[in-house]
Amino acid sequence: MSDFDFSFNNEDPEKKNLDQNVIYDIVIIGAGPGGLTAAIYAGRSRLNTIVLEKVSAGGQIAVSDWVENYPGFPDGISGRELVERFKKQAEKFGAKIIINEVLSIRKEKNLFYLNTESVEIKTKSVILSTGSEPVKLPVPEEEKFRGKGISYCATCDAAFFKDKIVCVIGGGDTALHETVYLSKLARKVILMHRRNKFRAAKMLQEELFANPKVEFKLGYVPIRILGNKRVEGIEIENVETHQRENLSVDGIFGAIGEKPNSELVNNLVELTERGFVKTDEDKETSLKGLFAVGDVTDTPLRQVVTACSDGAIAVTSAEKYMRDLER
Amino acid sequence: MEKLLKEKDEEYVRQLFEQNLKDPVELVLFLEKEDGERLNHFNEQYQPYIEEIAKEISSISDKVKLTVHKGNLEKEKEYGVKNISALFVEGKNTNKNVVYYGMPSGHEFSSVLEDIIDVSRGETDLNLSIKETVKRISSNVEILVFVTPTCPYCPKAVRTAHQFAMENKLINGIMVEATEFPEWSKKYSVYGVPKIIINDKVQFEGAVPESAFLNSIYEALGIKIVL
Repeated sequence: MSDFDFSFNNEDPEKKNLDQNVIYDIVIIGAGPGGLTAAIYAGRSRLNTIVLEKVSAGGQIAVSDWVENYPGFPDGISGRELVERFKKQAEKFGAKIIINEVLSIRKEKNLFYLNTESVEIKTKSVILSTGSEPVKLPVPEEEKFRGKGISYCATCDAAFFKDKIVCVIGGGDTALHETVYLSKLARKVILMHRRNKFRAAKMLQEELFANPKVEFKLGYVPIRILGNKRVEGIEIENVETHQRENLSVDGIFGAIGEKPNSELVNNLVELTERGFVKTDEDKETSLKGLFAVGDVTDTPLRQVVTACSDGAIAVTSAEKYMRDLER
Repeated sequence: MEKLLKEKDEEYVRQLFEQNLKDPVELVLFLEKEDGERLNHFNEQYQPYIEEIAKEISSISDKVKLTVHKGNLEKEKEYGVKNISALFVEGKNTNKNVVYYGMPSGHEFSSVLEDIIDVSRGETDLNLSIKETVKRISSNVEILVFVTPTCPYCPKAVRTAHQFAMENKLINGIMVEATEFPEWSKKYSVYGVPKIIINDKVQFEGAVPESAFLNSIYEALGIKIVL
């Protein structure tokens, strides 16, 4: 009982004191690892920078229970603590993180105009680090049962499934991490994946294979969710035999992939077919002065460490872009 | 009891309060008596901790006063207390309508501090057009926001509900720590957070922009608006 947490984390008490009259050097949209790393580099370069965040700092890593592959933390670190450290480091170099949503972006004569929830601001360059969000489960009842047994955030919602049976769907790192986390509370976790092999790191797989609370359903896809007012079960189908069966579960956690949060720029820059933002090796998009980093981009790997790397590169590129403008 | 706030966090709060507090704020905390019959398995464990953290917060600034009522049914009626524990943040612009049921720890701790600042300053940082629309609401609105302390998306929903309440005395902004009140959560089928219920009519999950939140209030009141 004594493990209540009264330390400071995501919400920033910083007011929405955006300055309409200044021209910022860089506005970073999204305060996940990529955006916060960009803020660290921009701060150290003494650029007039703000970070605008829609919900709360950290992005998806803030809901990761434990991060074990970020260098420098041999014993691992909680996602929340890691974010807190990124934030502190960015603030130390003068970054301002403001909770405010950017509603639209336009560019006129080398200046970007960002329409936010409160005012319109001006900036010379933009770093888009809006990340991605979980793809919704492809079952007809998804909307009906979302929040009523279907969840995409184990750290948020695991408490409702204490001693219950839950099903995690997916085969990547996220799915296996969620399974590890849920197995601490739930009576049983069924991990279901459409392929016969997991994509996740081997070490994670080994950890789960040794976990007596975890049961595997490989080569299965979800067909529909069963239940009246809330999730009571799931009908699944074997991808080879097409045989169907019903599982009794109280909760279903989806981790079947990521959808980019690129709506803000979908009329401004080139996107891939799936909506990820295309960038060059300088992290610049098809629109000069607009850079993109991390999960929202068309990148071969979506990890904290790659997002951080992108953030550092983007600031260096933005600086060069601004120098060229002045010439 | 050992102090709950770490030294560095206490120092942070002190600076935050020094820079931002203007008018006095009263934290009004409702608990049950030590031998009270409303103590149950859940709040019995939580009570001492919430009292301690409220004491620690109020001791940081002269502008934050704490009043604790234990088993005071008359006062509970006056405040419309629905459950134990309840923590109200009161100032000159509030109407016993900014409240936390259960422990505001984890991600919610910052919400309490931000509420104290807003109430003390007598203003919120809501967008002007939203503010004006909120002020125009002329019926009673009750917003329940169910949260867990480990949910990073929840403070946005709690703060929006509370800021709406600060802008309009008819709006009651209520946070409920879902794991602390299993029966309450069950009543509204809470299996994911944040879950927002407005006037028992409209419900939605997730942190949404203030304008969408406001639209849901109007929906609960049976009014369609275009912002």
